[in-house]
Amino acid sequence: MILLQSTSRFLLQILQNRLLSSEKSVDIDCHSVEFDDVRYHVQFSVKSPLVMVLSVSLPTPPPGTVFANGLPLGAIEAIKSAYGEVVQILDPPKDGYNLTMRLNLAKLPQDEEQRQTTLVKIASVREVVLGAPLRMILQHLASRTVSPNVGQVVALVHRAKESFFLIPQVEKATVIFPMRFKDSIDMVLATSFLQEFVEARRATALINAPLCTWSPNPPQELKEVPSEALAANAGFVTFVIYPRHADGRKLDKTAWSLSTFHAYVNYHVKCSEGFMHTRMRRRVESLIQALDRAKPELETKNATQGINFKRLSLVDGSGNSNF
Amino acid sequence: MANTLRLYLTCIRNTLEAVMCLQNFPCQEVERHNKPEVELMTSPELLLNPVLICRNEAEKCLIETSINSIRISMKVKQADELENILAKKFLRFLSMRAEAFQVLRRKPVQGYDISFLITNYHCEDMHRNKLIDFIVQFMEDIDKEIVELKLSVNTRGRLVATEFLKQFI
Repeated sequence: MILLQSTSRFLLQILQNRLLSSEKSVDIDCHSVEFDDVRYHVQFSVKSPLVMVLSVSLPTPPPGTVFANGLPLGAIEAIKSAYGEVVQILDPPKDGYNLTMRLNLAKLPQDEEQRQTTLVKIASVREVVLGAPLRMILQHLASRTVSPNVGQVVALVHRAKESFFLIPQVEKATVIFPMRFKDSIDMVLATSFLQEFVEARRATALINAPLCTWSPNPPQELKEVPSEALAANAGFVTFVIYPRHADGRKLDKTAWSLSTFHAYVNYHVKCSEGFMHTRMRRRVESLIQALDRAKPELETKNATQGINFKRLSLVDGSGNSNF
Repeated sequence: MANTLRLYLTCIRNTLEAVMCLQNFPCQEVERHNKPEVELMTSPELLLNPVLICRNEAEKCLIETSINSIRISMKVKQADELENILAKKFLRFLSMRAEAFQVLRRKPVQGYDISFLITNYHCEDMHRNKLIDFIVQFMEDIDKEIVELKLSVNTRGRLVATEFLKQFI
C-alpha cells in the first residue's frame, strides 16, 4: 500500500458484517483510533438492530482555524449531501466527540452496487468531515467562481494542534504545509523525502502535476500568520493547485491527498526506518559470520570427536578409582 | 573513488599485520590481574606509538598498540545530515550487539565512531589473519552499507513523491 486509503477498514468491516450476518441481535460498542488523532465510536443496540450510532472525534484545532460548533466549516452540509436520508445528525454530540450521527441502515439503497458505494462512503466519514472546507475552496476554484476569501490565508486543521494553510486565488490555490516531526531522525529522512518531491515534479511524466516547492523558511505568502504556527523543523512544502486538478471526479482525490499529506510522508518515513532495521539486522548477521570464520572450531570439529571419547573414558576411570 | 578506498584498506591491513604481535602480559601493578594495557595506559614502557591512517579529513583510522592489546578506532565519512543520521543509527545498532562481536568495544574512543579492542586472548582463540580479514571487511561493509542505505532512502523518496503527484493528473 503506497497511498493511504480514505476508507476506514474498521468501519467498513463492521458495516458489512452487520448487513451480511443473520445474527442481528447483538450489542456492539467499540472504539477505534486512526492516524492523526481521529477516533471512532460505534454503537448498535439490540432494540433497533439496523441503527448505527457513530461518533467521530477530530484532532484538536489550533487557534486560528475556523471551526463551527466543533466541526470544520461546511462539514454538516457535506455530511447531508453525502449520505442523504440515511443520516441524522444528533445535536449536541456525545461527550468527548465532535460529531455524533445516527445512521439508519434500513434506508440504504436496495441495489447491491449502490449499497456498497454508500457503505464505503460511510466508512470514509473522515474524508467527508475533515476535507469539507478544502473541498469547498477547490470547488470554487474548479468552477472559477470567486470564493468569499480570495487572497486571504485560510488555516485548515490536519493534525492535533497543527494546521496547513491555503491561499485561494481566482486562477489557482496555493497550499502550504509546515512540516513538523518530533524525532530528529524522522526529520532528516522527511527532509530528504520532501526534496525528492521537488525533484520528481521535474520529470516529464509529471509535467501536469501541481507545482511543488520546498523551502526551509516560511514562504512570503505566510507573513501575516502568527509565528508560533510557523515553527516547522522540516521546512515548508508548497503545492500550487490549478483548476484542472480540482475538476469533477478529481476533486475528492485531490482533497484527500492534500489533507493527509503529512500523514503520508510520516507513514513512509516510518516504513523506510523499518526497512533499514531489517537491512541492518541482516548486515550484522553477515558480519558475525565473517568473525566466526576466524574461529578455529569449525575445522577441528571432526578431530575433537575422537578426543572427546578418550577424555570421557579417562574421567570415568578416575571417577571409579575415587569411589 | 573505489581505488582510493582500496589503498586505504590495504594500508590498514598492512599496519594491522605488523601490529598484531601480541603476547600474554600480566598487570604490573596488581598481582594476578591481566588487563589490556592499551586501555589503562598505566605504564608507558608497554605502549607503542599509535598510528593514524587518514583517507581524508572525515575518514580516518587510529591504531593504538601495546604489548598485550591493540585498539582500532575509526571515523566514518558523513558528508551530509542524512549520511550522519544513517551512520549514527547503524553504528549504534552494531555497538548494541557488541557481545556478538567479541572484539567490538561498546563505546567508541572519543572523536571516533566505532572502536575495536583486540587482546592477546582473541589472537589465541582465533586465526590472526582471519581476524584482520574481519576488521577490514567490517570497514568496507560499513561504507558500503551507508551508501546503500542512503540510496534506498532516496529511491523510496522518489517513488513516494511520484505516486503522490500522479494522483493529481
